[in-house]
Amino acid sequence: MRLPRSVQAIYLRPLRRTPTYGIPSCDLQLRSYSVRNLEFFADFAMRAAYYLNLAAKGPIPLPQITERWTVPRGNFIHKKSQENFERKTLRRLIQIQDGHPTVVQCWLGYLERKAYHGIGMKANVWDFEGLDVVGRMEEEGDRLDREMEVHWSNFGVRANAATEESLEKLLGEKAFSRQIRPMEEFIRDPVEVNRS
Amino acid sequence: MSQFRAKTLDIGGYVNKWIIRDHTKRKVVAEYETERQSLRYIIRNTSLPQRMRAQAQLQLSQMHCYTRPTQVKNRCIMGGKGRGVLSDFRMGRFQFRMNALAGNIPGVKKASW
Repeated sequence: MRLPRSVQAIYLRPLRRTPTYGIPSCDLQLRSYSVRNLEFFADFAMRAAYYLNLAAKGPIPLPQITERWTVPRGNFIHKKSQENFERKTLRRLIQIQDGHPTVVQCWLGYLERKAYHGIGMKANVWDFEGLDVVGRMEEEGDRLDREMEVHWSNFGVRANAATEESLEKLLGEKAFSRQIRPMEEFIRDPVEVNRS
Repeated sequence: MSQFRAKTLDIGGYVNKWIIRDHTKRKVVAEYETERQSLRYIIRNTSLPQRMRAQAQLQLSQMHCYTRPTQVKNRCIMGGKGRGVLSDFRMGRFQFRMNALAGNIPGVKKASW
């Protein structure tokens, strides 16, 4: 019996769409300590991209990050007998080209929902922007500022925090006032002494 | 110091007196950070009157040593050791070795190259 095409595709390499312009719209980096999980999930991400009609490049293997630690074998002295440990972080990059922002978001959301154990993901997403970007960015920034005002007004406020008043109290209210000099009442103006 | 210490145990995991002490210090440092920073600012600000700056210096030096961020020390979460702690794993070197050999730390293997 012949398997359905979609099932048969699982046994084959993931299909991929050809990009029209080749302008990157999303860089997804997958990280893991295990090759098997990483390869599996990268493959899954490629297939998901294909069925969402996204042109995906990759998975591109990025240089692995090797961290090493050397510790003495025993719990006490004997520095001459040590042991090495290492952790290799493997990375794969999947680039989406000419993707529509909402579809890319959908793809990323789907991958996040189907997240596989032991795999870290991070994505850089690029978007097209019309003219007068600065004006709109400023507007957006002002709007966000106004929205965040409620939260920021509560930030770092504590009953016993160092405020202006508490600092004044801390340093003493007479910080600026003239203090009485020692032996104040005995200080007098110099008198000219006539020596002949 | 006892005036800062929580009345009931407020940390989990491995506990000994060093761990409790360090935990208390961390809390106190976080609590007094703004005060210390404002005093430090007054001391370093040359546009302020000298008298005020000297007073701030005195105040800063009179603050409790637990409010000093240098008092905080990373300790082993498994055994409370203060020396030879790998900050990547928050574990002492021997605990790290035992756990790594047991396979409890993801991705860490014996290396040979």
